Amino acid sequence: MTPLLSVNNLTYCKKHKPWFGKKEIFRLAPVSFELRSGETMAIIGENGSGKSLLAKLLVGVERPTSGSMQLNGEPLESRQRKQRYRAIRMIFQHSKESLNPARPLGSILDETLQLNTTLSESERKQKIAQTLVQVGMLPEHQYFYRHMLSEGQRQRATVARALILNPQVLVADEPFAALDPSVRSQTVNLLMGLQRDLGLGFIFISHNLGIVRHISDRILVLADGNVVESGKTDVIFNWPKSEYTQRLVYAHQALVSR
Amino acid sequence: MPLLDIKNLTLEIDTSFGWVKALDKVNLSVDTKEVRALVGESGSGKSLIVKSIIGALPERWKVTADRMNWKGKDLLSMSDNQRRAITRSEMSVVFQNPLSALDPSATLEEQIAETIPDNLLDKGWFWQRRAQRHSIAVAQLHKVGIRDHELCLKSYPHQLPEDVCQKFTIAMALASNPRLLIADNPTMGMEITTKIQILRLLSKLNKTRELSILFVSHDLLAISAMADSMTVLYCGQSVESGKMTQIRKRPLHPYTKALLDSAPSFRRDLPPKAALHCLEGTIPTLQHLPIGCRLGPRCPRAQKECVKMPDVRRIHDHHYACHFPLHRDKA
Repeated sequence: MTPLLSVNNLTYCKKHKPWFGKKEIFRLAPVSFELRSGETMAIIGENGSGKSLLAKLLVGVERPTSGSMQLNGEPLESRQRKQRYRAIRMIFQHSKESLNPARPLGSILDETLQLNTTLSESERKQKIAQTLVQVGMLPEHQYFYRHMLSEGQRQRATVARALILNPQVLVADEPFAALDPSVRSQTVNLLMGLQRDLGLGFIFISHNLGIVRHISDRILVLADGNVVESGKTDVIFNWPKSEYTQRLVYAHQALVSR
Repeated sequence: MPLLDIKNLTLEIDTSFGWVKALDKVNLSVDTKEVRALVGESGSGKSLIVKSIIGALPERWKVTADRMNWKGKDLLSMSDNQRRAITRSEMSVVFQNPLSALDPSATLEEQIAETIPDNLLDKGWFWQRRAQRHSIAVAQLHKVGIRDHELCLKSYPHQLPEDVCQKFTIAMALASNPRLLIADNPTMGMEITTKIQILRLLSKLNKTRELSILFVSHDLLAISAMADSMTVLYCGQSVESGKMTQIRKRPLHPYTKALLDSAPSFRRDLPPKAALHCLEGTIPTLQHLPIGCRLGPRCPRAQKECVKMPDVRRIHDHHYACHFPLHRDKA
């Protein structure tokens, strides 16, 4: 079975060019992994370890220096941007800031469809209503502006924006960090339910190891742009190999077991 | 005698819809040498409680309380100067967002030097005192785990990463050797290794210097790791308070139970990828507060009586306000 998304030796190099010499600033060392449909992968690591950069490379905001990505066995070309934008969608951390305050929700969702599909206006309307219901909101919410929605509804709206193009992979950068406990559980439940129903591949970045342990199938540990460890969630949490992972996991367990 | 004792604190805010009770009969007490956690979601009025303790609220808002005592003296009937002297020397606050709590136009050295009180310095010429201030500042920074103190002290807040600023505000709060530290979400957005470091520092200070801590947060994991007792707040009402171990073992209020269940780390028996337990909906805004018990519309156990505000009941040290607490099923 071909994996949904496979990433081979992806590297990224940010160079700083002073007048004399060539100095390297940050380097994301070769990253390779495979993601099957319906699988959840978590990326953990400290600040500045290149987690967000990896997410940006996956959705195509940044261009990799070398390496390739394959979706369903077909290479993702940098020229065919539209195909990638439709297949891999991103959810941002701050749901409030990522929604346009001057436009109602329906128009924000409509913009996504206009730019990426050739649907007619009535089809787009139908699709918007259908997606809103899918994430647990009402079709009438399309006339609401950002400030009229509660925090949980805003988070649902950003999920709706990611889902409206029927993606195969969702990439989320700290989707739960800024949320309150009860809204966080609602969002976790929503995403897990959608994954079960639609067979999405889900890649997310998180600091919260409790949630990582609960919902992810596999974990990728990054430190200073290098992949320190990767493997099944159970294995990483019970038998962490590298010292860096051990530190993270033991810190988490020290909190839990007290 | 408790260090800080608050009974029936009510805060009324003047909005365009009339006066709204943002805090409704909140009870809170912090004993000496105790770590008290104040838990609640955003919008539940945690920060308002902090602000009313230190007296940083606008004057036109009405603060009333049956009792608001600091070491037996009533804070509300004090003159402004007396109250200010207490807040300066005996309490300090770590505010929520470090970048908005720090002065953007001054270097961090100037800011921390301001918080070091004169009684920690020897009498000497001004340059000697300045050197002493500097060395105290450096020692404080090392304590919270900032290694590169020279760079940190020379910088302005926007030049440093947010987690360093966060640690710096903690250092600043501890510089004046307070009796009570009010930490408003001190570990927000920190990665787990730094978080542990800060929590260890706080619990060490609690043990060695007998510092009492009011730990305001919604991070249940951090709270359960260090707090002795906990007060749960929902929408400006204190719903349950008691010893941490007791509450974790047997929550009596449905909201506390929902809060504890929402953290997957607390539940060993939960199979991976199972749906998490949660309450429907979100916390209501101040314009749409329900009458009576404010959890009412979201509560799975709500009945007709819930439109009346429940009285606070007590089992030993465990206080709760609910008409239908969870232990009723077993009886």
